Amino acid sequence: MHLHKYEKYWLGLGIIGLIAFLLILGFGAFYLGTHPQSHGELIDPENLEMNEAFHEENLGLTKVDEGRYVLNVVASAFNYNLGTDESGAPISHIEIPAGSKVLVQATSPDVVHGLNFAGTNINMMVEPGYVSALEVQLDNPGEYTLVCNEYCGVGHHMMFGTMEVVE
Amino acid sequence: MNTEKRKQLKSSQESEPNLKGTLISVSVLGVVILVTWFGVLMLYLSR
Repeated sequence: MHLHKYEKYWLGLGIIGLIAFLLILGFGAFYLGTHPQSHGELIDPENLEMNEAFHEENLGLTKVDEGRYVLNVVASAFNYNLGTDESGAPISHIEIPAGSKVLVQATSPDVVHGLNFAGTNINMMVEPGYVSALEVQLDNPGEYTLVCNEYCGVGHHMMFGTMEVVE
Repeated sequence: MNTEKRKQLKSSQESEPNLKGTLISVSVLGVVILVTWFGVLMLYLSR
Protein backbone atom coordinates (compact mmCIF):
# COMPACT_ATOMS: atom_id res chain seq x y z
CA MET A 1 0.00 0.00 0.00
CA HIS A 2 1.32 3.38 -0.93
CA LEU A 3 1.38 6.00 1.84
CA HIS A 4 2.17 9.64 1.36
CA LYS A 5 5.20 10.84 3.31
CA TYR A 6 3.02 13.16 5.44
CA GLU A 7 0.56 10.38 6.19
CA LYS A 8 3.42 8.40 7.70
CA TYR A 9 4.22 11.38 9.95
CA TRP A 10 0.80 11.70 11.51
CA LEU A 11 0.18 7.96 11.67
CA GLY A 12 3.50 7.63 13.49
CA LEU A 13 2.71 10.42 15.93
CA GLY A 14 -0.79 9.00 16.48
CA ILE A 15 0.58 5.54 17.30
CA ILE A 16 3.24 7.02 19.63
CA GLY A 17 0.51 9.09 21.33
CA LEU A 18 -1.70 6.02 21.75
CA ILE A 19 1.14 4.03 23.33
CA ALA A 20 2.12 6.97 25.58
CA PHE A 21 -1.44 7.46 26.87
CA LEU A 22 -1.87 3.69 27.45
CA LEU A 23 1.38 3.63 29.47
CA ILE A 24 0.21 6.63 31.53
CA LEU A 25 -3.14 4.90 32.11
CA GLY A 26 -1.40 1.71 33.23
CA PHE A 27 0.99 3.66 35.48
CA GLY A 28 -1.95 5.46 37.13
CA ALA A 29 -4.04 2.33 37.56
CA PHE A 30 -1.44 -0.26 38.59
CA TYR A 31 1.35 1.78 40.20
CA LEU A 32 -0.51 4.73 41.72
CA GLY A 33 -3.64 2.68 42.43
CA THR A 34 -6.04 5.20 40.88
CA HIS A 35 -9.57 3.86 40.56
CA PRO A 36 -13.10 5.17 40.26
CA GLN A 37 -14.24 6.60 43.62
CA SER A 38 -17.02 4.07 43.80
CA HIS A 39 -14.65 1.12 43.76
CA GLY A 40 -16.87 -1.84 44.45
CA GLU A 41 -17.13 -1.51 48.23
CA LEU A 42 -20.74 -2.50 48.84
CA ILE A 43 -23.19 -1.38 51.49
CA ASP A 44 -26.88 -2.03 52.07
CA PRO A 45 -28.55 1.36 51.38
CA GLU A 46 -31.31 0.48 53.82
CA ASN A 47 -28.85 -0.34 56.57
CA LEU A 48 -25.92 2.09 56.39
CA GLU A 49 -25.03 1.21 59.99
CA MET A 50 -23.56 -2.08 58.75
CA ASN A 51 -20.47 -0.03 57.91
CA GLU A 52 -18.81 1.46 60.97
CA ALA A 53 -17.85 4.61 59.06
CA PHE A 54 -21.51 5.56 58.74
CA HIS A 55 -22.53 5.13 62.37
CA GLU A 56 -24.15 8.38 63.53
CA GLU A 57 -21.25 9.14 65.90
CA ASN A 58 -18.62 8.59 63.19
CA LEU A 59 -20.11 10.98 60.65
CA GLY A 60 -18.33 14.22 59.84
CA LEU A 61 -14.67 15.08 60.23
CA THR A 62 -12.49 12.99 62.54
CA LYS A 63 -8.82 13.50 63.20
CA VAL A 64 -7.11 10.12 63.06
CA ASP A 65 -3.46 11.17 63.22
CA GLU A 66 -1.22 14.23 62.91
CA GLY A 67 -2.24 15.81 59.60
CA ARG A 68 -4.62 12.98 58.74
CA TYR A 69 -8.38 13.19 58.79
CA VAL A 70 -11.36 11.08 57.81
CA LEU A 71 -14.54 12.73 56.55
CA ASN A 72 -17.57 10.44 56.55
CA VAL A 73 -20.63 11.77 54.79
CA VAL A 74 -24.11 10.41 54.22
CA ALA A 75 -25.64 12.23 51.26
CA SER A 76 -29.39 11.89 51.19
CA ALA A 77 -32.30 13.76 49.63
CA PHE A 78 -31.68 16.63 50.33
CA ASN A 79 -28.97 16.96 52.90
CA TYR A 80 -25.34 16.16 53.65
CA ASN A 81 -25.06 14.53 57.05
CA LEU A 82 -21.74 15.74 58.48
CA GLY A 83 -22.59 14.72 62.02
CA THR A 84 -23.64 16.92 64.91
CA ASP A 85 -21.79 19.33 67.19
CA GLU A 86 -21.70 19.20 71.03
CA SER A 87 -25.13 20.84 71.28
CA GLY A 88 -26.62 18.30 68.89
CA ALA A 89 -27.05 20.75 66.01
CA PRO A 90 -26.22 19.43 62.52
CA ILE A 91 -22.80 20.45 61.20
CA SER A 92 -22.60 22.18 57.83
CA HIS A 93 -19.18 23.81 58.14
CA ILE A 94 -15.90 22.00 58.70
CA GLU A 95 -12.36 23.29 59.16
CA ILE A 96 -9.20 21.47 58.13
CA PRO A 97 -5.60 22.69 58.53
CA ALA A 98 -3.81 23.23 55.22
CA GLY A 99 -1.50 20.38 54.22
CA SER A 100 -3.67 17.67 55.79
CA LYS A 101 -4.57 14.45 54.07
CA VAL A 102 -8.26 13.72 54.13
CA LEU A 103 -9.94 10.44 53.34
CA VAL A 104 -13.49 11.19 52.20
CA GLN A 105 -15.97 8.33 52.47
CA ALA A 106 -19.54 8.79 51.34
CA THR A 107 -22.65 6.82 50.60
CA SER A 108 -26.33 7.40 49.91
CA PRO A 109 -29.46 5.72 51.31
CA ASP A 110 -31.70 6.83 48.46
CA VAL A 111 -30.68 8.12 45.03
CA VAL A 112 -27.48 9.10 43.23
CA HIS A 113 -25.92 12.28 44.61
CA GLY A 114 -22.76 14.20 43.89
CA LEU A 115 -20.18 15.28 46.42
CA ASN A 116 -18.04 18.12 45.17
CA PHE A 117 -15.98 20.62 47.13
CA ALA A 118 -15.84 23.14 44.32
CA GLY A 119 -12.26 24.17 43.57
CA THR A 120 -10.66 21.01 45.02
CA ASN A 121 -10.12 17.54 43.63
CA ILE A 122 -12.84 16.14 45.90
CA ASN A 123 -15.49 15.42 43.32
CA MET A 124 -17.38 12.18 43.19
CA MET A 125 -20.62 10.40 42.57
CA VAL A 126 -22.33 8.96 45.62
CA GLU A 127 -24.38 5.92 44.68
CA PRO A 128 -26.79 3.95 46.86
CA GLY A 129 -25.31 0.53 47.56
CA TYR A 130 -21.71 1.67 47.18
CA VAL A 131 -19.15 3.43 49.35
CA SER A 132 -17.31 6.13 47.44
CA ALA A 133 -13.87 6.89 48.82
CA LEU A 134 -11.12 9.30 47.84
CA GLU A 135 -8.02 10.53 49.62
CA VAL A 136 -6.73 14.01 48.87
CA GLN A 137 -4.19 16.41 50.28
CA LEU A 138 -5.54 19.90 50.88
CA ASP A 139 -2.72 22.41 50.42
CA ASN A 140 -4.50 25.56 49.31
CA PRO A 141 -6.13 27.59 52.11
CA GLY A 142 -9.57 28.99 51.42
CA GLU A 143 -13.25 28.33 51.77
CA TYR A 144 -14.75 25.69 49.53
CA THR A 145 -18.42 25.06 48.99
CA LEU A 146 -19.76 21.53 49.15
CA VAL A 147 -22.35 21.02 46.43
CA CYS A 148 -24.32 18.18 44.92
CA ASN A 149 -23.53 17.98 41.23
CA GLU A 150 -25.78 15.07 40.29
CA TYR A 151 -29.37 16.14 39.88
CA CYS A 152 -31.16 14.23 42.64
CA GLY A 153 -34.63 15.75 42.86
CA VAL A 154 -36.54 18.93 43.70
CA GLY A 155 -34.31 19.79 46.67
CA HIS A 156 -31.07 19.26 44.76
CA HIS A 157 -29.99 22.90 45.16
CA MET A 158 -30.54 22.78 48.93
CA MET A 159 -27.71 20.29 49.44
CA PHE A 160 -24.65 22.26 50.45
CA GLY A 161 -22.04 22.79 53.11
CA THR A 162 -18.70 24.54 53.44
CA MET A 163 -15.15 23.49 54.18
CA GLU A 164 -12.48 25.90 55.27
CA VAL A 165 -8.85 25.01 54.76
CA VAL A 166 -7.02 27.08 57.35
CA GLU A 167 -3.32 27.89 57.57
CA MET B 1 -3.92 10.92 -28.66
CA ASN B 2 -0.49 12.23 -29.42
CA THR B 3 2.54 11.28 -27.35
CA GLU B 4 2.82 14.74 -25.79
CA LYS B 5 -0.68 14.54 -24.33
CA ARG B 6 -0.25 10.97 -23.17
CA LYS B 7 2.94 11.96 -21.35
CA GLN B 8 1.16 14.80 -19.57
CA LEU B 9 -1.70 12.54 -18.50
CA LYS B 10 0.67 9.92 -17.17
CA SER B 11 2.72 12.37 -15.13
CA SER B 12 -0.37 13.97 -13.58
CA GLN B 13 -1.64 10.53 -12.48
CA GLU B 14 1.64 9.62 -10.87
CA SER B 15 2.28 12.90 -9.08
CA GLU B 16 1.41 12.78 -5.38
CA PRO B 17 -1.52 14.78 -4.04
CA ASN B 18 -0.51 17.90 -2.13
CA LEU B 19 -1.21 17.15 1.55
CA LYS B 20 0.49 20.19 3.07
CA GLY B 21 -2.81 21.70 4.26
CA THR B 22 -3.86 18.35 5.75
CA LEU B 23 -0.54 18.04 7.58
CA ILE B 24 -0.95 21.51 9.06
CA SER B 25 -4.55 20.91 10.20
CA VAL B 26 -3.67 17.50 11.67
CA SER B 27 -0.73 19.11 13.54
CA VAL B 28 -2.96 21.92 14.85
CA LEU B 29 -5.42 19.30 16.16
CA GLY B 30 -2.56 17.35 17.78
CA VAL B 31 -1.23 20.47 19.50
CA VAL B 32 -4.75 21.36 20.77
CA ILE B 33 -5.13 17.83 22.25
CA LEU B 34 -1.72 18.00 23.96
CA VAL B 35 -2.25 21.53 25.34
CA THR B 36 -5.69 20.66 26.80
CA TRP B 37 -4.35 17.36 28.23
CA PHE B 38 -1.47 19.09 30.01
CA GLY B 39 -3.80 21.93 31.06
CA VAL B 40 -6.11 19.47 32.82
CA LEU B 41 -3.12 17.66 34.39
CA MET B 42 -1.75 20.95 35.76
CA LEU B 43 -5.18 21.91 37.09
CA TYR B 44 -5.43 18.52 38.85
CA LEU B 45 -1.94 18.73 40.34
CA SER B 46 -2.30 22.32 41.56
CA ARG B 47 -5.57 21.78 43.45
